[in-house]
Amino acid sequence: MDVALRNVNMLPVRTWNRLGINDTGLQEKFSDPAPYRGKALAGSLPEGVSLTKKPFPVSDAETGMGKDTADFVESHSNCGVSLCAAAGTKAEKPVVLNYEISEKNPTVIDCNEITAEEGSEITVVMGYRSEGDVPGFHGGLTKLYAGKGAVIHLMQIQLLGDGCTHFDNVGAFAEEGGKIDIVQAELGGKHAFSGVKTRLGGTKSQLNMNAIYLGDHQRSIDINYIAQHTGRKTSSNINVSGALLDEGQKTFRGTIDFVRGAKQAVGHENEYNLLFSPKVRNRTAPLILCQEEDVDGQHAASTGRIDAARLFYLMSRGLSEAEAKKLIIEAQFHPVIDRIPDMELKKEVSDFVKGRLSQLESMG
Amino acid sequence: MEKKKTMVKDIDRTIYDIKDKVHPSYEVKEGLTPEIVEEISKTKNDPKWMHDFRLKSLEIYNNLKVPDWGPSLDGLNMNDIVTYIRPDTPMRGNWAQVPDDIKNTFERLGIPEAERKSLAGVGAQYDSEVVYHNVREEVRRQGVVYTDMESAIRDPQYGSMVRDHFMKLVPPTDHKFAALHGAVWSGGSFVYVPPHVKVEIPLQSYFRLNAPGAGQFEHTLIILGEGADLHFIEGCSAPKYNVANLHAGCVELYVAKNAHLRYSTIENWSKNMYNLNTKRALVEEGGNMEWVSGSFGSHVSYLYPMSILNGENSRMEFTGITFAGKGQNLDTGAKVVHAAPHTYSDISTKSISKDGGTCTYRSSVVILPQAYGCKSSVNCESLMLDDRSRSDTIPVMDIQNDDVDVGHEAKIGRISDDAIFYLMSRGMSEEDARAMIVTGFAEPIAKELPVEYAVEMNNLIKLEMEGAIG
Amino acid sequence: MGNFPRQRCIQMLLEIKNLKVSVDGNTILHGLNLNVGKGETHVLMGPNGAGKSTLVNTIMGHPEYKVDEGSIIFDGKDITHLPANERAKAGLFLSFQNPEEVPGVTLENFMRTSRMAITGKPVKLFAYKKELKEKMAELNMNDGYAERYLNVGFSGGEKKKSEILQMLMLNPKLAILDETDSGLDVDAVKIVSQGINQYKNKDNSLLIITHSAKILESLKVDYVHVLVDGKIVKTGGSELVGEIGRNGFQKIAAAAV
Repeated sequence: MDVALRNVNMLPVRTWNRLGINDTGLQEKFSDPAPYRGKALAGSLPEGVSLTKKPFPVSDAETGMGKDTADFVESHSNCGVSLCAAAGTKAEKPVVLNYEISEKNPTVIDCNEITAEEGSEITVVMGYRSEGDVPGFHGGLTKLYAGKGAVIHLMQIQLLGDGCTHFDNVGAFAEEGGKIDIVQAELGGKHAFSGVKTRLGGTKSQLNMNAIYLGDHQRSIDINYIAQHTGRKTSSNINVSGALLDEGQKTFRGTIDFVRGAKQAVGHENEYNLLFSPKVRNRTAPLILCQEEDVDGQHAASTGRIDAARLFYLMSRGLSEAEAKKLIIEAQFHPVIDRIPDMELKKEVSDFVKGRLSQLESMG
Repeated sequence: MEKKKTMVKDIDRTIYDIKDKVHPSYEVKEGLTPEIVEEISKTKNDPKWMHDFRLKSLEIYNNLKVPDWGPSLDGLNMNDIVTYIRPDTPMRGNWAQVPDDIKNTFERLGIPEAERKSLAGVGAQYDSEVVYHNVREEVRRQGVVYTDMESAIRDPQYGSMVRDHFMKLVPPTDHKFAALHGAVWSGGSFVYVPPHVKVEIPLQSYFRLNAPGAGQFEHTLIILGEGADLHFIEGCSAPKYNVANLHAGCVELYVAKNAHLRYSTIENWSKNMYNLNTKRALVEEGGNMEWVSGSFGSHVSYLYPMSILNGENSRMEFTGITFAGKGQNLDTGAKVVHAAPHTYSDISTKSISKDGGTCTYRSSVVILPQAYGCKSSVNCESLMLDDRSRSDTIPVMDIQNDDVDVGHEAKIGRISDDAIFYLMSRGMSEEDARAMIVTGFAEPIAKELPVEYAVEMNNLIKLEMEGAIG
Repeated sequence: MGNFPRQRCIQMLLEIKNLKVSVDGNTILHGLNLNVGKGETHVLMGPNGAGKSTLVNTIMGHPEYKVDEGSIIFDGKDITHLPANERAKAGLFLSFQNPEEVPGVTLENFMRTSRMAITGKPVKLFAYKKELKEKMAELNMNDGYAERYLNVGFSGGEKKKSEILQMLMLNPKLAILDETDSGLDVDAVKIVSQGINQYKNKDNSLLIITHSAKILESLKVDYVHVLVDGKIVKTGGSELVGEIGRNGFQKIAAAAV
């Protein structure tokens, strides 16, 4: 199967073409998708949460990676779930979905819809792994709808091997008082793409995003987060942090968009990038678009090596330079990893990161 | 016909990654013909190399597209562009034609009667010629060359220096309006400061405002020798009225080893202007480039002074303010390329939008693989004065090695009610309180300007706040 | 309450009648009465949340506080719905509990502008600067503060001193001090008290909000009011301060019901 996706991860407002950051594309050849073999859902669904056939409440869901990508998944998906948390339900355990790319499932294209009806709360954890470095492709589309006062926690943890290309395309919508809480970990894959667009339409709706990435070897990571405020007193908080080693490359586009009428909206974005090798490439475009005066928008980004003072402090307590560096990166990831509700997955991710960072020993 | 490549001396073109955008299948639609360019060249008595350069630029111009990002240029009549640059285009209108709001602003800013007509380009030089002449004499004693561009090209001593540098930093291939500039440029200043000379008084381009073709397609070329020091001031805060409404100027600055250049601009073109200016500085080892920029005028602006830090330990500081009011779409910012180790850049901008105006802050910071040990800091703050206006911040950073320290901060918001109440509780009216806060917001830029300019700029802000302009 | 019979005929500078004030739809002051005469020093005390800050901000005209009923007469003029700057011009001054930081505006420039706005007359630069320097010295404030941006990066104590400095430079008819002593060390309290004493004369008045008795030690206090739940529940002389110090507010509030 030939995949050619255009206008991927597009910046809402273009800038100089020369910078090559207005958007990106995805062009590769993969094995044709066959129905996914195996059970993605771990365990059973919590009470109050069901698989639904109801149409998704938002007909024109806009996604971070764009229409081309969304259409692709919708027409080629071979797995995925449509979940609905009934009104008033506070699901007592997370819904866990595990996908594995292997020789028998080289192509995984999952199309998901998660609806949280009024006053409900649901947590969905999606984990993507692969069998060693087997070549493969994962493309996912996830639509989120948080009804009035509802809360959706979504975690997408990607631990793929070096043979895989991966993308996660998310479109979210929140009604009055609704809350969207997303955690993304882009820790593997040869090429990883992620785009999340959240429309905060309801008054006092909120978005919380925490993402970590680890770009080592020749990994490339391309991210596009958009928080669009149309409702009053809405708030968004986006935090991205990660590390680039070897020849890793990362492009992050983060947009806080205050549309006219979003009075008293608050949007904060923070980015923290640690660089470890002279061959890395880090690109950032943190945008703030504003048509409304009564707002508070802030963005802060910091890129560079580990703070020398901090390194010295750790070393003065006995750690070698390599150990200190490992500790600092792990510390950076810790707040996000800690939020994973599934203990096994949490350990798996920690070990995964530790394993990849062990190469830092040799860097000295 | 074989395409001649523009030679760029000593500059590694990969630094700013210019791609050849020529599309041979394009039709010439714009009405700017070689005949017109020939006419211009003849009128100016161009040496052959300049004549050829203009024609080559025209070719490039015809093959480039208008930028597809940024504010709309629909109001600019590309087919009639010829009317902007014909030698017989009346550069001076008459006083009756000058819009009332400009006349009012002159009044409010206290611009002397004698200067007003000169600034509006509708009168003869009042006595700026004399002042200009005196300044030239004074700096000539230091060995400084300060002359108009046309004379510089023909100068027996400096002509070859000019030729070696002219549009090498901003080649015509850079973008469509750079190509246009290359074909029809007229007027502007050439400054050469010999090594280790510190020019005591700031040089001001204001003196040349009334020269033919002035202010429209003027070319400024400043070359500082090793260890030289200069402060150059472009423009003035009084509104500059022009009959034609396109300004596609070009500024090229060469800052040699350990030299220091401060380039200050207050741009206040009348509100019908399309201001598409290209400014670029090349900074060598230990050199220091400072930009101070206040953008208040124009209908549409594209303005991003760019610095190339080409030598180790070179540095660049950019301080700017942009104020967009009714009917204005001002797209401004700064660009810097770190092409050498241990370089430093600092960009600090403020923008204010009101009455439906749009301010866009656009920047790029690129740190190349060979530029290790660099530090860059970007700080942009935007103030929205009402909910009819728009303010977008579009910064980009491209970092290509790990030995860097890059920080970026952006903020947007409104004047706090508490701050207004506090000032009102001390007797100020609400309008005065707002004006004071906005002036305070602009203060970091004001304090970088010479006092008279700072005072003028503050007056300008006050007038803008009162809605007295535009 | 508040309409405490005076012993001699005193001209009323501030008369607050039946003031009902709400914020965001919540009523904070429930029909408050208060009179401050010319030359008098009043103290307002009360538990947190009683409405002290609401009262002083309303007197000064903060747009967030809505007067639902009642009136505020200052120096014979009804200021109930006037904007803050008109009140300042009438001779009112509020020393804020948390003064705003205003970047880009120097302390000196700000105060000069304020004085011009209030007096309506141009300010002679040289004389003004001299006066400013003198008053700063009296408050033990380093000269350099005049050039610094208004309150930006000032410590809590320095901010309070900056407020008192403004009071001395603007010389209002009634100065309201909202917890001026909080956050100050012993020396600073002393200096601020001196400043207040310097300001006070037989023609102007003070209304001081405070939790502690320290700042009152060197002042001649005429009346002490206790504000509980949006109403003044007791008015007395300076002995009330000691009583509150010993028994707290509850007893007094209970007795008032």
